[in-house]
Amino acid sequence: MSEVKNHYVSEFQTFEKNGANKAPAWVHDVRKNALSVFNELGFPTTKQEDWKYTNVTPIAKGSFKYSSAPVQIGPDVVKSFLVEGTDQFVMTFVNGHLAPEHSQLSGIPNGIVVSNLIGAYSGHGNIIREYLSKYVKHQKNPFTALNTAFINDGAFVHVPANVAVEKPIHLLFISTKKESDQIASHIRNLIVVEEGAKVNFVVSYRSVGDHTNLTNVVTEIVAKKNSLVEVVKVQKENESAFHVENLHAHQHETSDVRIFSLAIGGAIARNDMSVIIDGEAAECNLNGLYIVTGEQLIDHHTFMHHIHPNCPSHELFKGILTDHGRAVFNGKVYVEPEAQKTDSKQTNRNLLLSDTAIVDTKPELEIFADDVKCTHGAAVGGMNESHSFYLKTRGITEESAKGILTVGFAAEATAKIVHPALRHHVDLMVVDHLRSKLGTANLPDIVHA
Amino acid sequence: MIEIKNLHAKVAGREILKGINLNVKAGEVHAIMGPNGSGKSTLAQVLSGHPAYEVTDGHVLFEGQDLLDMEPEKRAHAGVFLAFQYPVEIPGVSNSYFLKAGLNEIRKSRGEEELDSMQFLKLLKEKMKIVEMDSSFINRPVNEGFSGGEKKRNEILQMAVLEPKLAILDETDSGLDIDALKIVAEGVNKLKSPKNATIVVTHYQRLLNYIVPDFVHVLVNGRIVKSGGKELALELEANGYDFIKEELLQSV
Ligand SMILES: Nc1ncnc2c1ncn2[C@@H]1O[C@H](COP(=O)(O)OP(=O)(O)OP(=O)(O)O)[C@@H](O)[C@H]1O
Ligand SMILES: [Mg+2]
Repeated sequence: MSEVKNHYVSEFQTFEKNGANKAPAWVHDVRKNALSVFNELGFPTTKQEDWKYTNVTPIAKGSFKYSSAPVQIGPDVVKSFLVEGTDQFVMTFVNGHLAPEHSQLSGIPNGIVVSNLIGAYSGHGNIIREYLSKYVKHQKNPFTALNTAFINDGAFVHVPANVAVEKPIHLLFISTKKESDQIASHIRNLIVVEEGAKVNFVVSYRSVGDHTNLTNVVTEIVAKKNSLVEVVKVQKENESAFHVENLHAHQHETSDVRIFSLAIGGAIARNDMSVIIDGEAAECNLNGLYIVTGEQLIDHHTFMHHIHPNCPSHELFKGILTDHGRAVFNGKVYVEPEAQKTDSKQTNRNLLLSDTAIVDTKPELEIFADDVKCTHGAAVGGMNESHSFYLKTRGITEESAKGILTVGFAAEATAKIVHPALRHHVDLMVVDHLRSKLGTANLPDIVHA
Repeated sequence: MIEIKNLHAKVAGREILKGINLNVKAGEVHAIMGPNGSGKSTLAQVLSGHPAYEVTDGHVLFEGQDLLDMEPEKRAHAGVFLAFQYPVEIPGVSNSYFLKAGLNEIRKSRGEEELDSMQFLKLLKEKMKIVEMDSSFINRPVNEGFSGGEKKRNEILQMAVLEPKLAILDETDSGLDIDALKIVAEGVNKLKSPKNATIVVTHYQRLLNYIVPDFVHVLVNGRIVKSGGKELALELEANGYDFIKEELLQSV
C-alpha cells in the first residue's frame, strides 16, 4: 500500500508545482490537509463495511496521473452528448479542464454564475470559501480525501435568490486518452442555490476512446430555503473506466431536491449520494437506474439524513443486471430524535437477466424518532411471469417480451425525472444502451403515463 | 374448433380443474358461468398456456392441433385470444408498440407481410372506433393508469386488432358501466363471424342480453355440471347456483 501512497504524494508535488497554483492560498491548505488524511486512510479494502462488496484494488493499483494539459476533441462528439431538442447552457470539461470551445454559456442572465471553479475564485471567492468542503467530510472517505488533495477544477454554479433558471444547465465531463498515460481527473463541483431559486442540471460523465481513466468526483450542492433543484447524473464512461463520486446535498427548510442517477458506464463505478435534510418541511427525491453488463460493477451507497420534523424523502433505485454484472445498493436512512413526522420510503428493485449476475442490496434504517412513517423494500428477481405471459398471449415472442418488459422496468425509474427534456434524454440513452447490450434491436421507445 | 376432453389442472399443488369437457364449433358463442373460485379463469389461463398451471390429465385440440403442447405465443399465432379478467399494466411501453409487435408476429407466423407504422396506425384507428376508444390511448403505456373499464375496452381493442379465431372473454363485463357494456358487447358482435368462436365467462345475465350465447355452461368446483341454452342463464339469474348444487346432491 505504501507504494500506492508514494505515487500520490509525488503526484501531489508535481500537481502543486504545475497548474495548481491558480487557487488561493487557503485552498492549498485544504489540499495539504486532505493529502495527509488520504495518507493515513489509504485506499479502502473490502474489510471495511462500506466497501465490503466493492473491491477497489484495480483502482489502487493503477498509477493514474494528473493531466496538466488539455486534449483536443471534436465538436461532433461533444454535440452527441448533449440533451436532444432543448436549449441548454453547456459547460464542458475534458480530463478535468474547462474546454471553453465546447461550452455554450452565452445568454446566461445576469447574476447567475456558471463558471469553472478556478475562474470563480476572483469574483466569488467568499461563497466558495464558505461552502467548499463545508458539508462533505473527507476524514472518512479516502476518495474524497484524494479529490480534496487534488482540488483543481470543476463546476461552480451560483443561483441567486428567487431566480428561476429557464434552461437546464449541462455540466459535461469528458474523459479521454492522453498519450499512454492513465489520467486521473479529480473533479470538484460546487452548486449553491439561494433562497427561492429554481434550477435543473444534467451532469454527464462520458468517454471518448476506450482507455482506462479514473474520474474521482466530489459534488457539493447547497439548496437554501424554498429552493428547487433537480440534478440528473448520467454516467456512461467507457467500460474500462473507473468512476467514483461523492455527491452531497445539503437542504434547508422547505427546499425540494430531486436527484437521479443513471449509471451505465465504467468498469467499476461507485456513487456515494448523501442528502442532509437540515430544515423543516424539506423534501428529497433520490432515484436511480443502473444497468450492469459484461463484468461491470456499479455501486450506490445512499444516505438520507433526517434532522428536522415533517420531511418526506423518497428513494427508488432500480437495477438491470446481465452477464457477469454486479451491483451494490446500500441505502441508509437515519432519522434523528427531533425528526418527527418523517415520511421516508426507500425501494430497491433488481431485474436479473442472467444467472451469473450478482446483486448485493442492503437497507439500513436507524430511526430514533417515534412518530414516523418509514418503509423500505428490496427485491431481486427475474422477469415477471404474469407480465411476460400477457405479452405472449398477444403473439409476442419470449425474446421480444423480455426486451419490452426490461424497457418497462427501466421506465418506472426514469419516470421519476421531472424535467421532460432531461427525462427524454435519459430514456433515449437507456433504450439505446439496452439495444446494444441485450442484442435486441426491436426495443420500444419509452413512453410515460 | 376447440375440443376439451377430461381436462384436469393444478395450481400451487391444488387441483382446480377436475375433468372439463367442452366442444366449441366455429360460429358459436358459449357462455360459462359459475360461482367465485370454481375455476373459470383457471380454464381460460390453461387454454392460453399460463406456465403456473399444470395440466395433469386430459387434452385439448384446437383445429386439430394439440393446443397444450404449444407455447403461449404459438397459441396466439394459431388464433387463440384471452381477454384477461385482470389485465396487467406495463409501464414505459406504448399501447400501440405493444399491439403492433403482437400483430406483426401473428402476421409473420401466417406468412403475411408485416405492417409498417403508417398501415398499423390506420388499422388501429379503425378498430378504436369499434370500442369507442379515444386516440389518446394510442401512446399511453399499456394499461398503466387505465380505469377498470378502460382496461376492459383495451382488451377488446386488442381482440379487434388481432382478429382471433377463438376469443375467450374472462369477465370482460365486470367493471363496465351500462354504456361501456353495450359498446364492448357491440364490439364483440361486430367481430363475430361464422369462422370464429367466442367463450364468454360472466357472472351476469345482463351481458348475455347483448352477446347472445348458443350454449350456457355452469362450472362448479372444477367441473361443468350443467349445460343448456340461453334460458339457463336466466334461470341462474333468478335462482342462483343453489338449485344446481341441490340437483347435484340429489343425483348422487
Ligand atoms: N396462481 C394461483 N395460485 C394459487 N391459487 C390459485 C391460482 N390461480 C387460481 N387459484 C385458485 O384456484 C381457484 C379457482 O380460481 P379461478 O380464478 O379459476 O376462479 P374463478 O372461477 O375465475 O372465480 P371468479 O368468479 O372469482 O373470477 C381459486 O380457489 C383460486 O384461489
Ligand atoms: Mg375468474
